[in-house]
Amino acid sequence: MKPRMTIGMAIVLALLAAFAIAAIAAPLLAPFDPLRQSLLLRLKPPGSLLGGRSFLLGTDDLGRDLLSRVLFGARASLLVAVVAVVLSLVVGTTLGLLAGWLRGWVATVVMRLVDTMLSIPAILLAVLTVAVLGPGLLNLVVVLGLTRWPRYTRVAYAQTLQVAELPYIRAAEMAGCGTARVMWRHILPNIAGPLMVVATSEFGLMILFEAGLSFLGLGIQPPYPSWGSIMAGGRQYIERAWWLTVFPGACLFAVVFCINVAGDWLRDQVDPRAASR
Amino acid sequence: MRRVFAVLLALGLSGPAIAATKDSLVIDLPADVATMDPQIQWDTDSYSVYRNIFDNLLTRDTSGKIVPQVATAWRYTDDTTIVFDLRSDIVFHDGTKLTPADVVFSVQRITNPAFRSPQLSQFDQITSAEVSGPNQVTLHTKTPYPALLAQLVKLSIVPKAYVEKVGDIGFNQQVIGSGPFKLRSWQRGVQTVLDANEGYWRGKPPFRSVTFRAVPDTATRIADLRTGRADLTRGLTPDDAVAMKGEAGLTVANIATERVAYLFINALIGPTNDKRVRQAIAMAVDRDTLISALQLGFAKPVDVVLTPANFGYVSDVKAWPFDPEKARALLKQAGAEGISVNFLTSPVYDRRLNEAIQQMLGDVGIKMSITVVDQPTYLKRRLGTPEESSNMSQGRWSCACQDADGVIFPLFRSGSAWSKFSNPAFDAEVDAARATLDDGKRMGHYHRAFEILHDEVPGVGLFQDEALYLMKSELKWQPTANEAFFVYDMKWVP
Amino acid sequence: MGAITLTRYLASRIGQALLASFGVLTIVFFIMRLSGDPTLLLVPEGASLEQIAQLRHELGFDRPLGMQFLSYLGDLARFDFGESLVQRAPVLGIVAERVPYTVALAVGALVVALGLGIPAGIAMAVWRGGIVERALSGFVLAGQSLPTFWSGILLILLFGVSLRWLPTSGSDGFASLVMPSLALGIVAMSTFARMTRISVLDELSRDYVTAARARGLSRGGAVLRHVLRNAAIPVVTIAALEIGNLLAGAVIVETVFAWPGIGQLAIQSIQSRDFLVVQAIVLFVSLVYVFSSFLADLAYVVIDPRIRMGR
Repeated sequence: MKPRMTIGMAIVLALLAAFAIAAIAAPLLAPFDPLRQSLLLRLKPPGSLLGGRSFLLGTDDLGRDLLSRVLFGARASLLVAVVAVVLSLVVGTTLGLLAGWLRGWVATVVMRLVDTMLSIPAILLAVLTVAVLGPGLLNLVVVLGLTRWPRYTRVAYAQTLQVAELPYIRAAEMAGCGTARVMWRHILPNIAGPLMVVATSEFGLMILFEAGLSFLGLGIQPPYPSWGSIMAGGRQYIERAWWLTVFPGACLFAVVFCINVAGDWLRDQVDPRAASR
Repeated sequence: MRRVFAVLLALGLSGPAIAATKDSLVIDLPADVATMDPQIQWDTDSYSVYRNIFDNLLTRDTSGKIVPQVATAWRYTDDTTIVFDLRSDIVFHDGTKLTPADVVFSVQRITNPAFRSPQLSQFDQITSAEVSGPNQVTLHTKTPYPALLAQLVKLSIVPKAYVEKVGDIGFNQQVIGSGPFKLRSWQRGVQTVLDANEGYWRGKPPFRSVTFRAVPDTATRIADLRTGRADLTRGLTPDDAVAMKGEAGLTVANIATERVAYLFINALIGPTNDKRVRQAIAMAVDRDTLISALQLGFAKPVDVVLTPANFGYVSDVKAWPFDPEKARALLKQAGAEGISVNFLTSPVYDRRLNEAIQQMLGDVGIKMSITVVDQPTYLKRRLGTPEESSNMSQGRWSCACQDADGVIFPLFRSGSAWSKFSNPAFDAEVDAARATLDDGKRMGHYHRAFEILHDEVPGVGLFQDEALYLMKSELKWQPTANEAFFVYDMKWVP
Repeated sequence: MGAITLTRYLASRIGQALLASFGVLTIVFFIMRLSGDPTLLLVPEGASLEQIAQLRHELGFDRPLGMQFLSYLGDLARFDFGESLVQRAPVLGIVAERVPYTVALAVGALVVALGLGIPAGIAMAVWRGGIVERALSGFVLAGQSLPTFWSGILLILLFGVSLRWLPTSGSDGFASLVMPSLALGIVAMSTFARMTRISVLDELSRDYVTAARARGLSRGGAVLRHVLRNAAIPVVTIAALEIGNLLAGAVIVETVFAWPGIGQLAIQSIQSRDFLVVQAIVLFVSLVYVFSSFLADLAYVVIDPRIRMGR
């Protein structure tokens, strides 16, 4: 089947690339040091020209340049989301595949573990784990990776059960292909579509999750910015300094929107069943 | 499900009554009451509510002076024995008389270790209490204890017979006191409603009823004030206060409290175990800018780790001047250029202040990293070993006793949980100040203690914190330095 | 399927459910104990080390962890949930008082999420690839990319302060429930919309739909008559999965709107290390979750008899 690349899709992918570049090249793109405060220049509106410096997106409550902070904030937010999604995707899919293929007691153990993990509200588990491990980017990612994998496992398990019934899969097994090979070559491509949907919606949730922890004061460590922590800090000034929440919020929305649209598109490309329509 | 609808229906019918005549006052607090029993929990919000239900042995007037309440007069018969004469005209809400036996019971209950009162440490200098006359009680302390009266300001008198009848859990559910208001209902996590005690011995309370609501988010509390859902709230930030100053129909009230904002510097671990490094930190911090830019003027600079609202405050020990040049030179002299220090904090403390201090230290060449942990973890580490408690942190200290003994003793006396400082001369001064009842001698000891602290810098006083309240313009009330919340002292003037 | 198989199936499901809840309790018990105890939060500032140690002893936190766990399980077996250290009141009562509020909010949020999400998902599938789908997915995803601490205060400022339509905080009847339900529901909405879209698309591509359309049934008619029924299965699963998060995960929404649900109680109890309250909440949520996913499994059978329970 031929990939359908529409103009809209091209724009979406270009935007995602732009965000990725902004995050990676933040030190080159940022007009100012995102950590440098000027307490006398607090909460200046976008476009302020002060002391020969121009603050395109305004300044925050410690007089730091918001544009620079949003650029650097992209790094933390996107990094948390990418690493957490990849980590939980890998762990969750592996367990789900194994459970679905081997069934029996393996499936029982894995799926009960899934139930256990899913029945603890994620935010409570995260707050507790951060209390034990201490906060910080690395610990945050570990916590998210450890708590979010069951969502993938459930989907992978259910899909594997279905796919494993397909005649050619059993045929491949009969023909002497090893378990690993069958799972990797034949089952994984068949279940990648639904997993992609989970992963892309988790992506946005992970950025929001970090934002929520920032609101509770347990997100990324100050003074480093993430979109969530900028918004959490700017929330108090919502009426006096709208720019503090609107700009990072707009970035957050744009990324979540693009990722989801790209995810749906990607799913249609890789899912053999979707492609047959 | 049916239960849910029943609750919603009931709530719908009993919405907060905001009457035109102002019979009832609505107050938004950040949290619900933890325990209604005044002898258990000791957080600001529980305190704000239950102190309206009870009378205390002593109290403070608006100027901060200790004045009679249940006790009318008191005298020391020797250094460890104090006699209180009591009023005989006070009755509890159930109509029984408040007697000396109730006062003795209240002291014995809170000092009994098996009762597990978190407030025990404030009263455990009292060894015994007994009824010594028809309207008289006598207290004995372990040693001469100058802070005793300041602590007794916080001793709520509970009714002996009632507590013994209903038990501790039952009492906590439905408390009875002798104060200006009595408990009508307590919906945990939602609100507490108090009714006026019409026969109150000091006179009729100013409102027929008071509702304390639990609203955790400051922005939401402000919205409640703006829409008339509440008449008074506490816990505004300086930025909120400035924004609300122009709001029609609302008034911002501020009061300098006994709460001191300070920087803790660990003198027991490197690199801050070098006195010169600590002095350099003191000179790197620009207090005036912090106060003008972040507190927006809602604070007064202090030169020591104590506020003028506390006994023992000395005005002639000056702070290290803000001088980055000298700080850098001192660091160079100490061979401590480019050192890294760790700063431990929790979401309870102002994030912006931490970050501003981080930059000020950075400007003299000290790399400061901030670690934010949740409050229980913060306390565990801060009160742990010197290594666990990190190099620095921010604090806002109030002993609710307005005495230096409750501030610099726990903060800096070696062996105390908070102290990461060891200086025998300092220990001797604060120990001596604790062991005499002579105010003049105590001042002398504190003066020398502050001189040592100035030189050694185990902490830097930043400012005297101000409590910020937002209220309806019709509400007339003078907040006090101990952040008390007595509805009896409020008035509604349309 | 015979009656014996069904009984055995039910028994094994219930056994596994209890095992999962026990697992939850164990995990939370030990994580909480690792994160310190509440003694330091209870004592006034300035308490000495001896005073702290004494209170810790009185509260029983100096006992070995294993013993604390065993004695907790022992109490639990007698349905004794213990007494809150902070509130000095029975834990069961403290948690039970909050449950009606939490259920009300969860139902409100589900109504918002399903009421907006499912129609949006169907529309996105039926008008796939067009401007309708793009516009709707923008709307749906906006819900998922707004932090609730921000959308919540925006709602308060708009509907509470500016328009004065709704109360700004509290739990005074139905009007108070509207804003928190909206704030919580629009986050979950996107999950439902996307899941509905995919299931409807899947079903639309199946042979029976093609056949029905060949017989002259309109696409809308096909969707209504056949597709929705089959597409409902994954949506029901997701709804069951969301229950746990809606019950105690509404921490931020409940905080912003001063809604007295168990999410707010849970975070406050974690922050004050009120162990027994947190454990009771977690146990409650876990049981509700396990029970609702069990109901979801049963619902499959009702909606689609082709599915066997054996899975």
